[in-house]
Amino acid sequence: MKPRDLSPWLTVALAVTTLQAAETTPAAFKDIPFPVIERFENFGKAEGIPTEKVHAVYKTTDGRLWLGTWNGLCVRREDGRFHRYGPEDGLSHKMVLQIVEDPQTGDLWIATMRGLTRLSGGRFTVYTQTNSGLPNNVVYGVDVREGRVWVATAAGAGSFNPKTGEWKIYDHNNTVMHEPWCYAIKATPDKVFIGVWGGGIIEHDPRRGTFKEYRDPDRDFHYDLVPDDGPINDITSWLSWEDGVLWQCTYFGFARYEGRGWKTWVEEKTPLLSNFTQFVWPHRRVAWIGMDRGVSVTDGETWVNYEVGPKGEGLRTLYRPGQPPEVQTMPTALANCFVLGIYVDDEEAWFATSNGLSRGVFAPYPRPATVARARP
Amino acid sequence: MNTWFRFLLVPTLSVPLLAAGYGYVEKPEPPPTQAEKDDGCVSVPVDPAAKPGDASVLDFEYPYYGNTPEELIPFRGVEPYYRYWTKRLPFRGPGRDYPDPPDLKSLKIGLLSPPPYGPEGARGKRSRQGVLLAVEEANAARRPGQLPFEIIEKEDSPQWGSAANIAVEFKDADVLGFLGTIDGDATHVALRVALKIETYMINASDPDPTLTETQIPWLTRVWPDDRQQCFRLALLAVKQHGCRRIAVFRESSRPGRVGVMHFNNYIRRLGYPPVAHLFFKPGDKDISAQIQAIKAAEPDAVLFYGQPEDVGRFVKMFREAGLTARFYGFDRLQEDAFRREAGEHAEGMTITYFFNPHRTDPVWLDFAARYEKRWGEKPDVYAAYGYDAARLMIEAIDHAGPNRFRIRDYLAGLEEWDGVTGHMIFDGRWDNIAPITIARFHHGEWQYDPPPAPNWRPRRTQQAQAGAARP
Repeated sequence: MKPRDLSPWLTVALAVTTLQAAETTPAAFKDIPFPVIERFENFGKAEGIPTEKVHAVYKTTDGRLWLGTWNGLCVRREDGRFHRYGPEDGLSHKMVLQIVEDPQTGDLWIATMRGLTRLSGGRFTVYTQTNSGLPNNVVYGVDVREGRVWVATAAGAGSFNPKTGEWKIYDHNNTVMHEPWCYAIKATPDKVFIGVWGGGIIEHDPRRGTFKEYRDPDRDFHYDLVPDDGPINDITSWLSWEDGVLWQCTYFGFARYEGRGWKTWVEEKTPLLSNFTQFVWPHRRVAWIGMDRGVSVTDGETWVNYEVGPKGEGLRTLYRPGQPPEVQTMPTALANCFVLGIYVDDEEAWFATSNGLSRGVFAPYPRPATVARARP
Repeated sequence: MNTWFRFLLVPTLSVPLLAAGYGYVEKPEPPPTQAEKDDGCVSVPVDPAAKPGDASVLDFEYPYYGNTPEELIPFRGVEPYYRYWTKRLPFRGPGRDYPDPPDLKSLKIGLLSPPPYGPEGARGKRSRQGVLLAVEEANAARRPGQLPFEIIEKEDSPQWGSAANIAVEFKDADVLGFLGTIDGDATHVALRVALKIETYMINASDPDPTLTETQIPWLTRVWPDDRQQCFRLALLAVKQHGCRRIAVFRESSRPGRVGVMHFNNYIRRLGYPPVAHLFFKPGDKDISAQIQAIKAAEPDAVLFYGQPEDVGRFVKMFREAGLTARFYGFDRLQEDAFRREAGEHAEGMTITYFFNPHRTDPVWLDFAARYEKRWGEKPDVYAAYGYDAARLMIEAIDHAGPNRFRIRDYLAGLEEWDGVTGHMIFDGRWDNIAPITIARFHHGEWQYDPPPAPNWRPRRTQQAQAGAARP
């Protein structure tokens, strides 16, 4: 929804409503230890997004919203419409899979299906496997920490120092990964986690040059023999880390590692909406999980799921520990249940879906005193 | 303000304002059309009385573990916390109602072939010939107004990740689906891209059991995988032939590792773990150390996995070194290179094979004649499965139209299908689990057992008896 479009009457009505409601968390959500979405606002081609499928959404430190889509990179302008950049502007490929910002420089690093692209000062620079040390042109994931760029590609992980131009490749020749198919990467203050297809998760300590493997102990794709014994599966489709907690997405369920033990979730036996988990955005030790059936949000104990109901309405299901689930109908729903990317901060949640972009508007909740900018 | 009052206020205000034409008002999404329902996006509210864990996951729609016999399945006797592939994973994304691409001049199908100069080059060539024959026949049978099929050919290179780049090129070429390839690693990386580009892939020749275990609902494999071969060989060696001390000698490579992985597990579960498991490098000439080690293990059977020329050479060396154990192998030993290298020592080799290439049924004979007329040589399994894969993709495109999502639905919904290679049965991972056969090299030629009858049939058969015999 675009505030500029609101009629004056409705604006006043909503403003009064919001001001009064903002004072307290709705009673229905008082025991939910994270923000609850009260409604969705959806955006699509009418707002200038060039295609239905949105892979990634990211808000930069200057507050601008960026999208990685099936057909180009987009930024939301002040008028609320989206402006597209494509290969004709210097982007390496029109399919954009992930976007991150280097908080030190403001540069954007963009993972595409054919190369890594840097957007700096309005200029695009393309890195491919033939003009740089990029391990492979299909770049599934990218992250930046302390000036070093990390990539997960179809033929290994890589790190790049933009100041020196130095690349380093991590694959089956110099790490514990037996196959170099990397699908996600996350740099933390002292470790780098690599999501490997068939290899679970690899923890790399760049200072020591060590690698440690986390694998599903039952070593069989047809079973999860026992819960909470390690990664839910060796095929990691995505991972992220925030505040000491590592989260793993797979197409077999979802897992968390806090440094002491693992916790796993699967559909039907736990509140997890679907085993087909595609993306996780952690914010303040809460995981926002995108999957093929909507979004699950959890701190590991309490869950809130967002789905699309039979009549196109939103369905919100609250799972409180030890209590039966509570289903609530919402007047609005996600643009689509196939959720590929998420961005969450203390103010709002954004969802990249296969049929447009959604904004999740939080019900009033007690915001943290210090609004720290998380950068999962 | 009271929460309930706030929830009531917005819709109460919104309706009259919207009716009066005051700007944009948040409103519920319109009711989904039938096509949207088909997307699988719709969720039914959970039963508030239910608790997580109540739902049963033991509703088996498909045979478990590639239809592997129960006694070979891991952790048997223990009900695991969770089982996968008891039903098929749906694709819940949108796209089925997308309009057809404008200005289509052809219906494009990608073909990813192995590098022509690599170890799989010759097999890739035969597979390609099967694919091209299917497309040529389909185009010859097009009616006026029907768009022709066009093959977009790409050759892989022997470099990790190359197939991923090629799959992206397929996307850029707007293919409606793609076929390939033989190498397990190449097929794996291409499959991951297939998920991203939402373009269906039919695999005609990769035996890697782990390929379909990736849970990506954009792949059908018509080629029976090594798991099917492993449990036939394990049961044959242990249960029928009474072997108790089985050695494994395999190529040191990813195909070698994943190829024998299940065999080793299966014989272990039968009570007879491998007494030796040794490796060789492709092209090795001196394997005296391995022969010495395997002889020391006193095996009564040896399982070989590798290229037929390597295994043929090693079989000869093993026999000449005095090893009298039974020898077993996989389908590739049926190729001439094995008997050429092994010479008289090929006698007695027992392998798994997909079907009897000396079949005399009209479907096979007719295909073999057409293939030989077109290419001047007899078809092998690579040619035949390549042909079937292309026929299946053509059938899906003809059925669904030029829409990648409806093509996916058609292929992912198949339970059975008849090709020139025989009757196919697809499991919960879209793997062909039709029973395969056994062949023995005896008196200078391969002799084929009739395949066992299927012990499982789908509950529902959506499409079968397709026109493989009707070019």
